[in-house]
Amino acid sequence: MDFASNWPLPAHLVMKGIAASNLTISALITFIVLRRWYRRRYFERLERHTSAIRRNWEGIVSGTIPPESWRLKSLDSEIVESILLDNLESLPAEELPKLLECARRTGLLDVRIYQARHNKGWSRRAALVALGRIRAPETVPALAEALDDPDPETRVAAIRGLGRTALPEAAIPIIEGLLSGGLAGLPDFPIKNALANCCRAKPQLLLTYLKSSSGTARELLARVLGELATADMGDELMVLATDPLPEVRAAAARALANGSPAVAFPMLAVLANDPEWFVRLRAVVAVGSLQDSRKIRVLLRAICDLNRHVRQRAACILATMEPYLTEILDKIIANDDRYALQAFISELDRSGAFESVVKAIHTKSRGSAVNGLLEALKQGQAALRPRSADSQKYENVVR
Amino acid sequence: MLKLVLLSNALLFLYYLTSNLIYLFLLITAIVKSTSHQQRLSSMHLENLHLSKFTPPVTVVAPAHNEGGNIVESVAGLLDLDYPMLEVIIVNDGSSDNTLERLTVAYDLRPVHLLYVPEIQTTRVRKLYRSVRDPRLVVVDKESAGTKADAVNAGLNVAGSPYVCIVDADSLLERDSLLRVMSGIFSDPEFSVAAGGIVRVLNGCSVSHGALTHIRMPRNPIEAIQVVEYLRAFLIGREAWGHFNMLPIISGAFGVFRRDLVLRIGGYRAAAIGEDFDLIVRLHRFLRERRMDYHINFIPDPACWTEVPSDLKSLAGQRARWQQGLLNTLWLNRDMLFRRRYGRIGMLILPYMWFFELLAPVIELIGYATIITAALLGILSSTLFFEFLLFGYAFATMISIGGVLLEEITYRRYNDWRDVSRMVIYCFAEHFPYRQMNLYWRLKGLWRYWRGDTAWGELRRKDLSQPPDSSKSSTPETAQAAAR
Repeated sequence: MDFASNWPLPAHLVMKGIAASNLTISALITFIVLRRWYRRRYFERLERHTSAIRRNWEGIVSGTIPPESWRLKSLDSEIVESILLDNLESLPAEELPKLLECARRTGLLDVRIYQARHNKGWSRRAALVALGRIRAPETVPALAEALDDPDPETRVAAIRGLGRTALPEAAIPIIEGLLSGGLAGLPDFPIKNALANCCRAKPQLLLTYLKSSSGTARELLARVLGELATADMGDELMVLATDPLPEVRAAAARALANGSPAVAFPMLAVLANDPEWFVRLRAVVAVGSLQDSRKIRVLLRAICDLNRHVRQRAACILATMEPYLTEILDKIIANDDRYALQAFISELDRSGAFESVVKAIHTKSRGSAVNGLLEALKQGQAALRPRSADSQKYENVVR
Repeated sequence: MLKLVLLSNALLFLYYLTSNLIYLFLLITAIVKSTSHQQRLSSMHLENLHLSKFTPPVTVVAPAHNEGGNIVESVAGLLDLDYPMLEVIIVNDGSSDNTLERLTVAYDLRPVHLLYVPEIQTTRVRKLYRSVRDPRLVVVDKESAGTKADAVNAGLNVAGSPYVCIVDADSLLERDSLLRVMSGIFSDPEFSVAAGGIVRVLNGCSVSHGALTHIRMPRNPIEAIQVVEYLRAFLIGREAWGHFNMLPIISGAFGVFRRDLVLRIGGYRAAAIGEDFDLIVRLHRFLRERRMDYHINFIPDPACWTEVPSDLKSLAGQRARWQQGLLNTLWLNRDMLFRRRYGRIGMLILPYMWFFELLAPVIELIGYATIITAALLGILSSTLFFEFLLFGYAFATMISIGGVLLEEITYRRYNDWRDVSRMVIYCFAEHFPYRQMNLYWRLKGLWRYWRGDTAWGELRRKDLSQPPDSSKSSTPETAQAAAR
């Protein structure tokens, strides 16, 4: 009985394992070396060709250099497309028509549309992103078709492409996909970004679809609308502010910040008492942005809110209302809400007005409790730990 | 005796074969995943994330304990991160050096009375400061509890964003790394609860004003071997486990988490030895127990550069400590093992961590003992022994070179030919005697844990603002002796 005879695998398999491992090591090292060598050569060529193309760029764009001289060379074609796309994104609007014309005339646009329609996988996704960057209206149908692709990665690429066109008509296939459930399971983030880009110039488009939508699609459209709404949408926003979906109410509150104070304020005052904390938060932020003296009353109520974020945001706005700071502090003290007072003082500190307000209070000789609290706040954070009764209240808030 | 040796031999062989097959599987998975990630990056434009109004704010929390030497440069790097809504919280964790003073002077800090709600209990917070120069910077000055976890928890209490990015104050993040790691969250914000990036070796690189200016392989062999180790661990191990949503750890040096979830599980466990591993295992437990769908992602392109030990003593301490952290967390969560309730975490990754990470040094030691015993008993076939040794050597080298290959075909941070050549050479050289030393340190860690000795070893640090060559002349007097 020896070690070899009891070996679980025959010895020749070990030898084969060694040979296979050594072969793989050699292959990996050779691959690394060859790849490095190839890439060096590639970048040298790329640099040479890029400088040659940049020298002749005006001729390529204007068409005096015939496209046949570079279109059939894959590297040159890649370089031209790359420069063209970069220019389309960075040059001023008046330069765009001639660049678009170049993309159309040379066939670059058609090639990308063909690839977006007929290719599969990454090649299709690359074409979709490139089409989006071209920002031409004729790219929209090809991008919209890709929204039906079974692969979620391709659908996300199509959404990104449609978003990059920044054309209102590109929003329509996305919205319709949302409403029909065709975009179900895709992340919200690229959809919201794409819709925001496309509808920036025409937010009313969202409003049209919002009326006939429901559920998560409605929430998403409302969220985008909240970012884009303009003052002339006042009446429609009022209707949305009473929507049963809290996300929609929150979006309406956000959008009302852009409305006229006379119209927006009464509705925002109502939303600042909404049962959902994030609706109240949005309403408080919107109220803060309005030029209306009545907002102090709403904010003083909000600073006593059960939710920490609402309190803190109300405090943040109140702490910037320079001529009324001591009066505001008086009212907060009168409310006898330690959390409101803490929130206000921390925001006073953040805004740099703390010392001046402390001085003003001392000259008015406030009660010992207030002075004690201010002293404790000066001394450090240990004094900020909640009292037992407050702790209970706090627990209720955070849960 | 003979039968025992032969049985032990057969079991060890099966163990070894299984572990190698797992590594091979992980390597192939990582290559496929990395390639597809590269393709995805080409269709994703980071500037869109930067410009979007829907990009959520992030708070970066960096605990600092006696980091006076590098803190100003580190904070400059954090404030320079390319992210639209950023807040940076530095937690001065009872430093006895000039960390707070240097920050105060450099960033014009002044005490503020920000609302501090101790949602997680920590040691006493002495004072909060905000920078006049850059209002995004908040400094929390607290008493030290002797753990990084406690310092991070204080930062979590102050953080005001839905996502927190935990970094080490002595690490450097690449400028777009936060945006890149957050892109992993945005790709599925409903289910992504955490994401981590790759940690790379800073030693040998040049740093100026908190930013990396030149990337090179370190010249010191101890540091260079760690480059290979880090590439293998992150680009192969974490990439592959992340693909199957079984990521067991997000490095404490760089990870993004949903703040509400971290608070719900009580933050970092102050008594944990490996707090980063512990946090992820508890997150898995929490989410699995509630039958929630979630992803914990590894995103391979956002890089965090960190200084690794450059002398054997520091390295030994670090490796022993890691082993203790592993044992500590695995032991505390042993009830998750082979429980269907915890899905693939309980059935696959935790058993893997037990058998192929925690017990690996013990089993390797038994392997050495078996071979010696077999030799003493005269039953060891020297030919077979050397063949087996050669196979193990070749296979492990192949996996390491696979890590270098992944670096080459994807992220290519090391551009110099000489650096790549040295990386490949160290793939061959790390097996003798480094592997055996590592084995000894890990066993020592287990032994010390058994005896209840879990004190931190000292890690010598260099001044990040100095050029890399100056590290050679650093002395114990000039180097920062940091407690963690």
